[in-house]
Amino acid sequence: MSGPGIGWYLIVAATLFGIGAMGVMLRRSPLIVLLSLEIMLNAGSLALIAFSRQLGNLDGQVFALAVMAVAAAEVAIGLGLIVAMARREMPLDVDEATVLRG
Amino acid sequence: MVAGAWVCLLAPLAGALAIALAGTRISRRTAGWVSTLTTFVAFGGALVSFLALWAESPEDRERLSTAYTWLAAGDLEVGFEILVDPLSSVMMLVVSGVGGLIVWYSMGYMAGDDEERRYFAYMSLFVFSMLVLVEAGNFLLLLVGWGLVGLASYLLIGFWHHRPEAVAAAKKAFVMNAIGDATFALAAVLLIWETGTLEYPGVFEQVDGLSSTTVNLVALGLLGGAVAKSAQIPLHTWLPDAMEGPTPVSALIHAATMVTAGVYLLVRTHPVFEAAPDVQHLAALLGALTLLVAGLVALVQWDIKRVIAYSTMSQIGYMFLGAGIGAYGFAIFHLMTHAFFKALLFLAAGVVIHHLADEQDIRRMGGLRRELPRTHLAFLVGTVALVGLPPFAGFWSKDAILASALAEGGALGWVLYVAGLAGVLLTGAYAFRLYFAVFRGERSARAAHAAHEEHGSGEGPLSILVPVGILAALSAVGGLLSIPGVWHPFTHWVGESAEALVEPTTAQDYVTSLVAVALGLVGAGFAHRAFAGGRYLVTSPAAWQVLEHKLYFDDLYDALFYRPAVALSNALRREVEEPLVERSLEEIGSGTIQVGGEVGRLQSGLLRTYAIAIAFAVAVLVVVFVAVR
Repeated sequence: MSGPGIGWYLIVAATLFGIGAMGVMLRRSPLIVLLSLEIMLNAGSLALIAFSRQLGNLDGQVFALAVMAVAAAEVAIGLGLIVAMARREMPLDVDEATVLRG
Repeated sequence: MVAGAWVCLLAPLAGALAIALAGTRISRRTAGWVSTLTTFVAFGGALVSFLALWAESPEDRERLSTAYTWLAAGDLEVGFEILVDPLSSVMMLVVSGVGGLIVWYSMGYMAGDDEERRYFAYMSLFVFSMLVLVEAGNFLLLLVGWGLVGLASYLLIGFWHHRPEAVAAAKKAFVMNAIGDATFALAAVLLIWETGTLEYPGVFEQVDGLSSTTVNLVALGLLGGAVAKSAQIPLHTWLPDAMEGPTPVSALIHAATMVTAGVYLLVRTHPVFEAAPDVQHLAALLGALTLLVAGLVALVQWDIKRVIAYSTMSQIGYMFLGAGIGAYGFAIFHLMTHAFFKALLFLAAGVVIHHLADEQDIRRMGGLRRELPRTHLAFLVGTVALVGLPPFAGFWSKDAILASALAEGGALGWVLYVAGLAGVLLTGAYAFRLYFAVFRGERSARAAHAAHEEHGSGEGPLSILVPVGILAALSAVGGLLSIPGVWHPFTHWVGESAEALVEPTTAQDYVTSLVAVALGLVGAGFAHRAFAGGRYLVTSPAAWQVLEHKLYFDDLYDALFYRPAVALSNALRREVEEPLVERSLEEIGSGTIQVGGEVGRLQSGLLRTYAIAIAFAVAVLVVVFVAVR
């Protein structure tokens, strides 16, 4: 087997996941939050594929495909929400959208 | 013969269903005709099966017909089956015959009432239930009929449901009867347990092999059912109150048929009672006690129907006395003649009540002899038959029971004999007191008033006069089916189902008759003297007080059962319901609201806080999983 070992792949995936999580937790623009979420999903996909290759098993790649489909659906809904917020001239700031406070 | 019995059983059911399902699509009059005709069809069926049974040879006069297996549980199988034998054929004739006449009478009596259709549906239901009871081929079906007649009785006592007294009386009757139903059901359970069957022959064969405790318990359970249904002491207090129902109901259910079901039960299950002679004698003693108490209380009642109701209790006491010493044929004979003359008395009383626009107090009656000559005659026949003057029906049947008590002998026989004769004296007094108060003397203001009203016009339509006339004729000649020393076709016929344990000699019969007739006349003389002198029959105020309170039975039960139950319920409400149940519910509610308020604060609406919480939770879970592994 050529190329870097699985450890490198996992380090990259974990880094990406951390960056994404930080983005979700710290940024206030919904668009950036959505992008960060995508990064987290892709980090997960990368780890799946890495394991798939390591174990010589295609299951992980199939899962990665499924994650892509979920990500596409999520983007469609998330962008739709953001567009709807912009149309209503609501502030594009997740801290301002607190109607669901208990 | 079996087909006739099935027709007899199912015709009234068909009538009840037809009236109930047709609703307002048929007129009230049609409903009355449906009910009357189906009951007469039932009588026809009973007559056919009776004649067919007559034609059979004596040893072949017991037919069991099973429609289908109704219940099967393990080894126990109970069929929906009817038994046609001499005893049940007689009961079928009495129930459907007298029932038909009374339902017919109801068409005149209830005309113009608000809910006639409901009334006739209930009446048909009752006739059906009573036929289930008498035709039942096993204990379970007997119990079913037992419960059904209690239901029909409840519905009909409370027929005028806008009157609180009627509703209360219906409830009282139902509760009292439920006690008897429960003991009966317990006896049935005990029978299943011990014998594994509920068939009559199966039980009767095994009853001798059972331990005496078991047999006594079973007999006591059956006796409890009989006592409640037949309004004997100590479960008798419901019957006088049941007079709140319409008069034909009182005639049919609370005089002629249902209340005598207890006697039928004693005779039908006589092998059980013969195996438990103590319980059988207890039945006789209870009957003797009831006939005395009811006769005494009847002396002071003012309500025309209540006097007759107490008289009914008293007469059923005679039947219990007869069945208790094993004079089964005579007990059933008295049941039949009593059905004739007591139904007659009630129906004649109904004419009087109608005539006086629903007046039931005999103090406001009097002198009706001239206005209601035919009713007067019928009532007189009924009274004479009740007191037992020859040759009317009660003479033959009551004296036969008393003669059997004499033939029984011993301390028990003599106690019963003396009680029965004292009862005859009382019967003469209260029966003629009623007769004099209603029909003799001066015309009361009320009667004079009624004469001017519409009500006072005659004695009613044909549907009232004809049944009264037929019952008067039956009360006059119905007793001739058994003449001591001459012939006993009736008692021989019933004796094939339940052979008598005692057989009075002709001499005993005649001596008893002589004494009884003399006592009856003396009683009538007392009544006449009191009436002519304008005095009460009971002169001592203290005795009057006691009798007017019906010997304080109602007050006793009130203090013994009702008040403790109410006190217990109130205490439970105060000590358990309010502090424990209600308060804990309140606290569960307020606690939930409080917790909700606290938890609700976590829901800040800040998306990023949620994200951090999720991340933190996942981190914790990962640490936990790793640590646990």
